Formats: sequence, C-alpha cells, structure tokens
Amino acid sequence: MKLFGNPVSRGIVIGEVMRYEPFKAVPSSSRIGEAEVDASLELYDKAIGMAMAELEETRSGLAERAPDKAKILAAHAEMLSDPVINDEVRRAVRSDLIPADAALAMVFDKYSDLLGKSKNAAMRERASDLQDVKNRILRCWAGRREKNLSLLDRPVIVVCGDLYPSDTVSLDRNNVLGIIARTGGSTSHTAIIARGYEIPAVLGVPDCMERLNDGDIVVLDAENGEVVIAPDDEERAACEVRASQVVTELREMEQWRCVKPVTRDGRRIWVGMNIADINDEELEHAAYSDGSGLFRTEFVHICRAGMPSEDEQYRIYRRALEAFGGKPVLMRTVDIGGDKQMERFGLPKEDNPFLGLRGLRLCFAQPELFAAQIRAALRASVHGDLRIMLPMVGSMEEIERAGAFITEQGALLDARGMDWNREVEIGIMIEIPSMALIADMAARKVDFASIGTNDLCQYLNAADRLNSAVESCYQEYHPAMFRIIGNVARAFAAAGKSVSICGEMAGDPLAIPALIGLGIEKLSMNAASIAQAKRVICGLDMSAVSELAREVQNLETASEVRELLQSFAASRAKRGGKAQA
Amino acid sequence: MYSKKISVKNPTGLHARPASDFVAAAAEYKSSVTLKRAGEDDEYNAKSIVMLLALGLEQGEEAILTAEGDDETEAVEVLASLVERFAE
Repeated sequence: MKLFGNPVSRGIVIGEVMRYEPFKAVPSSSRIGEAEVDASLELYDKAIGMAMAELEETRSGLAERAPDKAKILAAHAEMLSDPVINDEVRRAVRSDLIPADAALAMVFDKYSDLLGKSKNAAMRERASDLQDVKNRILRCWAGRREKNLSLLDRPVIVVCGDLYPSDTVSLDRNNVLGIIARTGGSTSHTAIIARGYEIPAVLGVPDCMERLNDGDIVVLDAENGEVVIAPDDEERAACEVRASQVVTELREMEQWRCVKPVTRDGRRIWVGMNIADINDEELEHAAYSDGSGLFRTEFVHICRAGMPSEDEQYRIYRRALEAFGGKPVLMRTVDIGGDKQMERFGLPKEDNPFLGLRGLRLCFAQPELFAAQIRAALRASVHGDLRIMLPMVGSMEEIERAGAFITEQGALLDARGMDWNREVEIGIMIEIPSMALIADMAARKVDFASIGTNDLCQYLNAADRLNSAVESCYQEYHPAMFRIIGNVARAFAAAGKSVSICGEMAGDPLAIPALIGLGIEKLSMNAASIAQAKRVICGLDMSAVSELAREVQNLETASEVRELLQSFAASRAKRGGKAQA
Repeated sequence: MYSKKISVKNPTGLHARPASDFVAAAAEYKSSVTLKRAGEDDEYNAKSIVMLLALGLEQGEEAILTAEGDDETEAVEVLASLVERFAE
C-alpha cells in the first residue's frame, strides 16, 4: 500500500516508523469520594516519582552532549519537587475532593498564570517551564512514555502531524532517517529544517497518522513523494537501488558547491547561505558561500533556556561573523510570533498570529529584548561585515522608528565606552505587500532589502502557509509573485541599493532563472541547496532569463508558470556542463 | 522566630540560578523559612522555587528573611550570607 504527499527534501530511505505525537492531557473532571482520597494521592506520588526518574535519566544523558538542555531539565526537577505546589495539590484533594490530576493541573496553571503576568521577560518564560512540568506529570499519570526527538535509541522514520520549531531544534539528526507529516508544504518549518539537515521528507500526507503504526517498516521515497507501507522483497530491492542512485546524484551535485556562480555570459551572481544554529556543522559551509543573506537569530532564542544575555548574543554573532571572515552577514533581528513560539514569551494567544504581533512589531512591544539584541549586534559589528535586517516592516514610520532605536542603542554603547561600527548597514525584509509596493520610497531610506518570499507569498495570496486546507492557494509561482518581486528589484536598482532574496524560492532551481531575469542578483538559501543553485546559474544566459521573466509575469496561472519554468529548466539541462572550480 | 533584612545586589535579581541555589540551601534546614519584600505583608515560602520566582526580587530591592524552628538562627545567618555572596 502507498501513501502520497509533497516531497520537500530529497532522498529515499527504508526504515522503522516512530509516531511522534505530543501528549494531550485531559484531567478528570468529576469529584471523588472521601474514600478515594488516599488512592488518588498515591497515584499522584507515583506520577511524581515517574516524572522525576524520567527527568534524571534524560538529564544524565544530556549532561555532556547538551549542557543547555540539561540545565533546563534541572530547573524542571526543582519545580517538580516544589513543596508549595505539592502542599496545595494535597490540600485540594483532601478538602475539596478534586482528583489529584485535576488538582495538579489547577495548581500549576495558577502559578504559570502568575509568572506569565510578570514584567520580567525571563520570569514570563518560566511560565512555560511550569506548563512543561505539568504536562510531564499528567503524561506519567496516564502511564504514557515520553517520546522525544532529541534522544532516540535507534534510527527511525518520524511520522507526525506537524513539527514545531521546539521539536526541530533538538532533533537527533543521526537517528532521524526521514520525516513524514500530515501538514506542511514546501515552506513549512519542517520542510526548511529537513532540507537544512538533508533529511528526506514527504509532507502533506493526510492520513499518515491513521495508517502508520510504531514499528511498521516503510520506504520513504522523497524523490516521488511516496510512502510504501510494508514493502515486499521486490519493492525493498528497488528502493535500495534507487536510494544509491540518489546518493550518487547528490554526490555529483556536491562538486558544484565550490564553483563560482557566474552565468554563461559572465554575470556573477551572489550566492549566500541561510544560517540559524551557529554551530560547527552549519558554519563549515561558510567557505563556499558568498556570505549569509539571512541569519535567523530567533533560533538562538528558542534553543536556550532563558533569554540569552547581551553578552551571550554578542559572542554568538561574533562567532557567525568570524566564520564568514569578512563576507557580509545579514543579521535578521528576532522574528518571533506567527506561531507557537509565542508561548515561550508568555504572550497571549492571537486569533490571527501571522497578522499579529510578530517580528519588528513584537520588538517594539518588548523593547528590552530588542535593545539587548541591537546592542549585541552593534558590538559584534567590529568583527566582520555585519548588516542589520529588520523583519516584518510594513510602513515608513516603522523604518524611521527602528532607525532611531538603533541610534539610541549605539549612543548607550558610546556611554559605556564600547566600540561599534558606525557605518553598519541597516536594511529591511520585504515580505509585507505594502512595503513591496512602496519599495521605491523604502529604497531611499534603507541601505538594502531582502525579499522573504515565504511570508510575502502568504500575505500576497492571503493563504496561511501552515494551514494545509488552503495549501493550493499558497502559490509561489503565482504571476503576482513575479510581478511584485520585479517591482522591488527595479526600485532598488534605480536607487543603486542592494536587493536579495532569502526565502525558499531563492534555492528553488526552477525559480532561480526567472528571479535572476527579474534583476535579482543575490540569492541566499539553505546550505543543502547551494550546489544545485550554482549549477543552474552556470547554465544561464542573461538575455534568455530576461525573456523568461517577462513571460512569467504575463501568464495567467501558477500552473502555467510552473510549466514554463519546467520546460526552461529542461532545455538548460540538456545542454549539461561540468563543474569547474 | 528570627529575622534579618537582606538586600539583593546581584544584577540578575533573585531568580534563575541564584534562586535555585537559595532554595536548595533553604531546604537543608528544619525551620520554616520565608521571605517578604520590605514594606509588604505577603510572606513567600523560601523553600519553593515557584514562590521565589513569583516574589521576583530584583537588583536593589530589600527583603525580610525569617525562619522559625530549631535551627532558625543558623538558617537566617547562612542564607543571608549566601545572598551577600551572589553579588560577588
């Protein structure tokens, strides 16, 4: 039997299924009788004991590999044995006859609400730790084992509804063979992470959670977007042959990594790498990229237990800059919001988070957080070519306000007698259509811009990129996308300012020719896409891509655009070519 | 009952790491140990990390540290000097 979905990250693997679903607790709602009090408290003690044992075990496994994570778990153990919480739970069970699971949910919620209202950002964050501890106890109460993607004891293919950034930052990369998810298009977090880690993935498989059980053996074919359940010997053999073909192909592709990306008629295209983790594995790719066109700094925040201090951020930014040795690094200031990440910051849930308090808007609402980041960035700016890039800019006032804010922070550093680069460039992300339409005005005010095609696409098409029900409306190849990108490229070229693309489209081999034809000469993408992108670029002629760009803007539908891009790519591929360093 | 006024001098205030150390130290004593912000009435159980976080003492604030029980004097003196040392 086969399941089908979108292949978002290349490769073919065979392996064992591990279903990953976060536990959803449903505490009892009825009261208990006097006679049941002791039994309920006994269950409570047992759940606490199990939770503590789990924490200790995980923590000892992490102490050396991931001291940061181990520290969070130590804090969780403290909360688990908190005497005030324990007393309150017991009292609620004994005197109010509330079952212990409901009582503990109530007490933990009470304190997490209390901390969530704190003025101090670090304290608000502890509210989500309390929620984590509560969920752990309730899961133990239900007798369910922990399933965690950061510590796997054998290689598995992960099957899930969706993955959140918090799941993916801790992903055990050596043991995740592949990913199958119910939701997610090619620009979902899961897709971006899978490509970044070079893990084969098929997303948007509607009934994967119903059809696949723990321990099932499946072939995950992310070349064709298929999942073969319980493959027979023949299917297994075919899978192994094709898997090794794909490996060979990918290896051949790798030779293009170090090639200089120049079109056949000599136009040098800037190919940068998107970065987020700032670890050795990621930074080793800096050598064959022209810089970083997108440094997603929010991952630095999501990964850590507490909000990283100014000094800590400074060290991370400095490390990134030094890894690129003088090549430009476009540091995007924290772009939190839009999804689950909000919980960590203790912010209220919103009905339309993608249209809500996110990116620069959130930074203005939390000036403390923004100020520390800006100061850290300015301090780091003397160690390389750092450029500050503001996300989610929708108006000229916001550009003005952010500029003033940055100047203010610079003055603070002066007062402290600290060194920073006064020439540091400040630019914006163009992802809100309003900004794309007044790109000519923005170009006069800022030093550069980068088009975030993922968000631009969802705002332009009014289609939530994480909602699979409107996936068909989320059209990256919509002719309007090419028109609006062309508009931004022209405006910035006229002002003599730099413009790049850093969304998923920048690494899409089909889209690259048209984007270059529109006048975009800087592309920043995941490390895994660089080789292929360079290969595509080296096969292009400027006159042909200009013509292609004109045509895509005048087609009526996304599928017509796709067909044209595909036939263009096929005509280039026929001509072939070898990688030349 | 034995009390002493303490002042929080370390920049991070009495949360995160310092709070954890404080709670661990307080748990060593048989006496009940409480903290209240100077000038306020609400007492917080100082053996509870959650209560200490809820109290949220910041740098520059003063608080009254109180213990009641067999080892109350020692508890207050040792814990007060611990808070002093956070500032170093």
